[in-house]
Amino acid sequence: MFFHNFKYTLKTLFKSKALIFWTFAFPLILGTFFSMAFSNIEESEKLDIISIAIVNNEDFQENVAFVEAFKTLSKEGEEQLFATQYVTEEEAASLLNKKEISGYLLLEKTPKIVVNTSGIYETILKEVVEEIEENSKVISSIASYETAKHVTEQATNEEIQNIRNTIIEKVLKIQQINKTNMQDISNANLSYTMIEFYTLIAMTCLYGGILGMVAVNQNMPNMSSNGKRISISPLSKGKLILSSVLASYIVQLIGLLLLFLYTLFVLKVDYGNQFSFIVLLSLVGSFAGLSLGIFIASILKASENTKTGIMISVTMLGCFLSGMMGITMKYIIDKNIPLLNKLNPANMITDGFYSLYYYSTHERFYFNIISLLVFSFILIFFSTLSLRRQKYDSI
Amino acid sequence: MKNCIEVKNLVKEYKTVRAIDDLTFEVHEGEILGLLGPNGSGKSTTINCILSLLNFSKGSIKIFGKKMDVNAYEIKRNIGVVFQDVSVFEELNVIDNIDYFCGLYIKDKKLRKTYIEDAIALVGLENYKKFYPKQLSGGLLRRLNIACGIAHKPKLIFLDEPTVAVDPQSRNNILDGIEKLREEGATIVYTTHYMEEVEILCDRVIILDKGKIIASGTCDALKTLANIEEKVTVEVLDLPPKVLEKIKEFKNVEEVSYLDNILFITYKKGKNNLSELMEFLKEKRVNYNKIFSERPTLNDVFLELTGKELRD
Repeated sequence: MFFHNFKYTLKTLFKSKALIFWTFAFPLILGTFFSMAFSNIEESEKLDIISIAIVNNEDFQENVAFVEAFKTLSKEGEEQLFATQYVTEEEAASLLNKKEISGYLLLEKTPKIVVNTSGIYETILKEVVEEIEENSKVISSIASYETAKHVTEQATNEEIQNIRNTIIEKVLKIQQINKTNMQDISNANLSYTMIEFYTLIAMTCLYGGILGMVAVNQNMPNMSSNGKRISISPLSKGKLILSSVLASYIVQLIGLLLLFLYTLFVLKVDYGNQFSFIVLLSLVGSFAGLSLGIFIASILKASENTKTGIMISVTMLGCFLSGMMGITMKYIIDKNIPLLNKLNPANMITDGFYSLYYYSTHERFYFNIISLLVFSFILIFFSTLSLRRQKYDSI
Repeated sequence: MKNCIEVKNLVKEYKTVRAIDDLTFEVHEGEILGLLGPNGSGKSTTINCILSLLNFSKGSIKIFGKKMDVNAYEIKRNIGVVFQDVSVFEELNVIDNIDYFCGLYIKDKKLRKTYIEDAIALVGLENYKKFYPKQLSGGLLRRLNIACGIAHKPKLIFLDEPTVAVDPQSRNNILDGIEKLREEGATIVYTTHYMEEVEILCDRVIILDKGKIIASGTCDALKTLANIEEKVTVEVLDLPPKVLEKIKEFKNVEEVSYLDNILFITYKKGKNNLSELMEFLKEKRVNYNKIFSERPTLNDVFLELTGKELRD
């Protein structure tokens, strides 16, 4: 009976023109548009050295991490990312107004980036500053630890000099470790096309939720007339829903596979050398999309069309906030409402992809994977509570 | 006679509205029970409660002698339902739709194949096996809806207005099919607004109104509940107003109307009403073309019991 329901759910999903359009065709169409629209931009937007300014105040001079990092990233050579001018705040503002720099960094208690427009250069500056800030915190805690460990009232000049050397040694070590990360950022081929394709994959993963929603709806007596008929059959609701949801997930993964095949072989998208991680994130992202669909279907009491509308709107909004229509949006949300991006499944997926792009380690990638799984299990938990109801007050 | 369904003191409340009010009735094995009532009288709610789709406030429901519950799979295995709304998958053709619903009950593929063929033959869809629901007319769609509900050969079948909005040919086919199901031994609970169907099919009838049983029994027994005994229709080309007034004063006359050359008289009771009327018309030299008398129908009883005012 489980297989019987599974088989027919697959059949109905594959034959539903609307579902096939949203889960199979729409991502391919959008991918084609992206490819056409961004291939020209790509050529004209090859990464140049970015002109920036740093307000050379006391706070900046005292911050070893920032001083060292910008010295490295501004060093002439193949790896040079920034052309940095060290100026006063007024001069920096003036340079920005004259559009001679993309932005400037003002380091007071916390780093502040001042930019006039939003674009790829501004985003790079922001990413770099965030990275240095992270390092800076680590360095500062090492300094406090070493000082507390060695400094006594009787410390001689020689001992103080030793402490200073130890701190500098450790700072340099950390700088070395993080140099790779910095270089990752500076060397990353931040392509518009890739950013769009990553959000496209995120969107496809979440659109799969429509399938999960349909699978739940067709088994619920309060949602559809078919659900009424199915509910009076001698099959447990759990088995029915599980087999339908499994079929939906399979269809969703087939949609994703088609997207990968199409982008790889037709649009010639280069996913780099971490493709297996991209696939893993897509599988987990699809599961999150499926959970979102199940949640919307089981919690909301509305028609299937209304729920589909909600699902598409939530997905599109999530993708928009995570940078589908411009990566700057992701930056704005990160800066102003970070919680929103933490809860946005589309952002978890795209952030996971970006982390593969930016960092040589996979910590942030796995953090996103775990976030998506937690997100999915929370939604499934609440959906189960609602679906467990056996009888209804009204249908 | 063995009971197939036993409903005792069933109460279903929606916030302030009592949709079913202390309902008690039985459905005997092998019979067709007509469940009648105006819109909102509680017919569908009663069926949904019996099927354990709806919660109810009080009462008990037994099917095949066992307590009905949402997890009573052994009972459910022998129940078939044809809901008022057509419940089929638009994406599946006729065969697949029937196979899907039948497959929820019958695991054996070979047996299922035979059952599907039987169901298709019963509703006369032999020529439409590969058709999709969108390609079927309203009548054919209703027949598919029935086939999906009964293909697994259940012992107890609920038919909730299965002939709504179908042409006379399809209706005839559906009614024949229901007769066949009864012949095969199924017990049927049948709800409809078409009284002639009830008179043709049902062994017993329960009339519900405002969640209560207001009458029950065989069709003939119910007809005796009517306050009228005879209805006389006369086609008269010219009926003087004075004659019409005199007729209204006749003994036993309940209601008189004259419209479009048709004189319509209902009598509460009495004998020889027709002959007395004919004599009176002759005496008044009123010519008429046709005259005939008829007994009250179930429709008259229904309207009399539930009232003639419009319902939502």
